[in-house]
Amino acid sequence: MLSYFSNPQRFDQLARIAIPVCGFGGLVLAVIGVYISFFASPPDYQQGDTVRIMYVHVPAAYMASAIYAGMAVASFIFFVWRHSLADAAADVMAPIGAIFTALALATGSLWGKPMWGTWWEWDARMTSVLVMLLIYLGYIALRGAIEDRQLAARMAAILAMIGVINLVIVRFSVEWWSSLHQPASIIRMDGPTIDGSQLTPLFLMMGAYTLLTAWLVFYRLRSRALVQRARSIQSRREREGM
Amino acid sequence: MSALLQVFAREARLAWAGGGGAAGPAAFFLACISIVPLAVGPQAERLVAMGPGIAAIAALLAVVQTAERLFADDASDGTLELYVLMPVSPALLALAKVLGQAAATLAPLPFIAMVGGVMFGLDFAQSALVGLALLCALPALALIAGFAGALAAGVKRGGLLIALIAIPMMIPALIFASGAGRAALEGEWDRAWATVLLTLAVSLGTMALMPFGIAAAMRARTG
Repeated sequence: MLSYFSNPQRFDQLARIAIPVCGFGGLVLAVIGVYISFFASPPDYQQGDTVRIMYVHVPAAYMASAIYAGMAVASFIFFVWRHSLADAAADVMAPIGAIFTALALATGSLWGKPMWGTWWEWDARMTSVLVMLLIYLGYIALRGAIEDRQLAARMAAILAMIGVINLVIVRFSVEWWSSLHQPASIIRMDGPTIDGSQLTPLFLMMGAYTLLTAWLVFYRLRSRALVQRARSIQSRREREGM
Repeated sequence: MSALLQVFAREARLAWAGGGGAAGPAAFFLACISIVPLAVGPQAERLVAMGPGIAAIAALLAVVQTAERLFADDASDGTLELYVLMPVSPALLALAKVLGQAAATLAPLPFIAMVGGVMFGLDFAQSALVGLALLCALPALALIAGFAGALAAGVKRGGLLIALIAIPMMIPALIFASGAGRAALEGEWDRAWATVLLTLAVSLGTMALMPFGIAAAMRARTG
């Protein structure tokens, strides 16, 4: 399956279908999700209308981790099988993931002010998301700094893979660190306590974020492939013209 | 085995070659510690509370400074390619290389941390524990910095890039090394010892895993 789509022509065929499907599907889900989140769902009995921030915040936090996981898998595929498409996918995903991470931090902060009375709390969850943003930035910076594209791809793949192990260890150590002096975390968001009327818009928004991300990834991958083809045609023309 | 020892000794000699370059991290560490009271104020109780954390942060920054020269020269003159061709595991070689430089340049840090602890108002036992925790964290810090250095070797002015890659990875070692000192400050010696052991565990885990990352980066360079 992987090798099947690593053929540029087949990928192009796939992308031609996936781009409109993901884009349109994401748009529809986003419109319905936003409508239900902000107008057609009841306010929370404790949080009132501020709970609506959750429908923007939680999907962003979920995309931040999901995109990193996708990046790591793509890096692994590139590192082992040397499919250049997998490398391109990791490259394309990194800035999107960084933006979702920043978005999760920003919306979390906006939610935190009315809920806990503070913009920022050094709690385990928020701190590890902040660390994840730093790791994304390091990855993007490393890719940008190495001039040789092949070398940059390999180094970035190694960093993304080691970064997964690192994220797990950071998660545990930050958990340990914040449990030292805080009696109990003030943030509680255990799944089952969420009411069904809140789950529907939440899942809709998660679906919308996922599809829009897929749309962006396919779109950027296809544009990259087209740019590369245009470059190679141009350089061939120049050589023949001489 | 002897090849590994030679790589270890070569790194240590290189660190000392060209004057007092090896003393750089120690001097930087001392400078970092010294400026803290000047910035946050000389109140004794505040400085005591900050002491263990400052030692850990200053050590982290000092180690990051050493990372750029570790692989940049060897990448540019082809030594890395020879290393990869040697009939020795590149992971072990990377371990010997990083620890060789660390032994030559980072050894004074725990002692300076102890003196710094006393200067920040910790008692002798607490200061000694801060130094011990730092000693336990140094292998992890050095290997992570080495990994970032191996990834960024050959990048012009790669120092900032190395810091950006290395610092998030150093967070566990930072948390445990400073946590041990803070536990000792609160008089909870059992927890302080346990945290020193956790710091050591982070270092041992890093020693087991990170050389493979560095070796992968060395191999990627040679194609």
